[in-house]
Amino acid sequence: MSLLNEVWQAVKAIGTGMATVHKRVYEEAPTEFYPYVELDLPPVSVQSLALVENEDGTERCIVCLQCERACPSQVISIERHRNPEGKGFLIDRFDIDLVNCMYCSACVEACPVSSIVTIQDFELSTYDLHTLKADIDFLHEQARRSKKWYSPKLGVEIRTEDGRIEKAPPEMQPGGLAELLKPAAEEEES
Amino acid sequence: MSSTIGLEPVLGRSDEMIVNMGPQHPATHGVLRVVIGLEGERITRAVPHIGYLHRNHEKIEESRTYFQVVPFTDRMDYVSGTQNELPVVLAVEDLAGIEVPERAKMIRTMFFELFRIASHLVWMGTAMLDLGAITPFLYTFWDREIILGIVERTAGARMLPNYYTFGGVRRDLHPHFFKDVAEFLDHLEKRMPDYEHLVLENPIVHARTVGVGVLSKERAVARGVSGPVLRASGVAYDVRKAFPYDAYPEVEFEIPTSDAGDTYARFWVRFQEIYQSVKILRQLLEKTPKTGPFKGRAPARLKISGERYRAVENSRGELGVYVVGDGGDKPYRIKHRGAAFSNLQVIPDLFIGAKFSDAIAILSSLDPVFGEIDR
Repeated sequence: MSLLNEVWQAVKAIGTGMATVHKRVYEEAPTEFYPYVELDLPPVSVQSLALVENEDGTERCIVCLQCERACPSQVISIERHRNPEGKGFLIDRFDIDLVNCMYCSACVEACPVSSIVTIQDFELSTYDLHTLKADIDFLHEQARRSKKWYSPKLGVEIRTEDGRIEKAPPEMQPGGLAELLKPAAEEEES
Repeated sequence: MSSTIGLEPVLGRSDEMIVNMGPQHPATHGVLRVVIGLEGERITRAVPHIGYLHRNHEKIEESRTYFQVVPFTDRMDYVSGTQNELPVVLAVEDLAGIEVPERAKMIRTMFFELFRIASHLVWMGTAMLDLGAITPFLYTFWDREIILGIVERTAGARMLPNYYTFGGVRRDLHPHFFKDVAEFLDHLEKRMPDYEHLVLENPIVHARTVGVGVLSKERAVARGVSGPVLRASGVAYDVRKAFPYDAYPEVEFEIPTSDAGDTYARFWVRFQEIYQSVKILRQLLEKTPKTGPFKGRAPARLKISGERYRAVENSRGELGVYVVGDGGDKPYRIKHRGAAFSNLQVIPDLFIGAKFSDAIAILSSLDPVFGEIDR
């Protein structure tokens, strides 16, 4: 009797297992065909860092060293000198060790002028880690390459077709900004 | 020579074989190494060795400012994301007297419970992988992917978001957050019966787990075990109820306990916790205001003196932190109390007398994460 029972239990288990698996066979597979289909990442997604230049090609960074101080991994190293004509400082060297960076975006939050930003571009796979010791040209190139970037102070900015830098529309802004603006717009209409 | 493996061969017991399990064993959930004395298939002695993933978290954090400590804590229990940040954030908020808005507390609690579900889904997949079933692993990671997507849309990263901060959270919720979570909960509730069929009701799982690795109530308390492992031994201790934090006083939920104390009971308790998390999330989705403050006022430079212990109930148990400030902007001492570390201490209790193949099932029921154990 117990043997019959055991056989029945086994058959039942295989039956439920197969039925459960069978249900999912016809569901859409969650596979992402990444290198062939570009991923649509949310604008706040932290994938890499970049240093934005102004539209006219001048430096947006004011070399205040806030990012260097905020960095928990201490991967940012900056050297600067006083501007001989006018106020402020000029950059001698701006290096980020992207290998040891842990992408916590503390530097991005510390930046007072939204110069250092996070981008959604993660195409930095390499066989040689030395290529990830980013200098200022590398970081500028990252910003030029990416179409949009995020910083908490200015939100999402996008680069238009003709190279201008614009603030992204509210739908693209994170933090429910579009939702916040919607009722105000409706009130104005009424 | 023999002392380096932690077990001395006993003279006159030539029938005992000493086996090294790990640190690269696929079923040790990372880099646990257990030196096991075997008599035939019975385990006679077991000595766990840890520390292969040691990264010196506590000392590094003592050389960083309070704001810089938070992203490091993420790296401890890398399966449960933001849950690790909360004890440090709570302790520093207490010491510095930072007010947290109600909405921020609710957002924090929602993320906390989302990660509890994600962590238990990972446990479910890997535990079944240890028992030889591959299919549940594929399904649970599929569902966990949805949670990580929701988290990424708001917090900016999937596994290590660095989302909580002193006084609240770093960013406001994504506009579709409430809709996404509600959809996910509906989806999960449809999935849970499938998981019960594949895991809890499976006769093979029954045969492998029922009555295996029984941890008595007294032993569990004596070893300092917490979380689902403790509750499966019949002690209804949950930090969320005992010392409520954030929005937990405002939600209703139960503490699932089981008196059996065996591997199956630990499986069962984790399943019930997923249901309780769903219940908490549903209540919070209704209660949380759609808009409002997500961060209180926190000073840009924190100077803290005093000491404080704060604990939270993360997916593995009581995760605590003891912060001592000496008036500077860096902590004088930070001590993490890891739940998985304490839960691992029952390995000699549970392994000795069990069969070798049962050791794998017992270990997976403890759900260790080595980022947190070795710190």
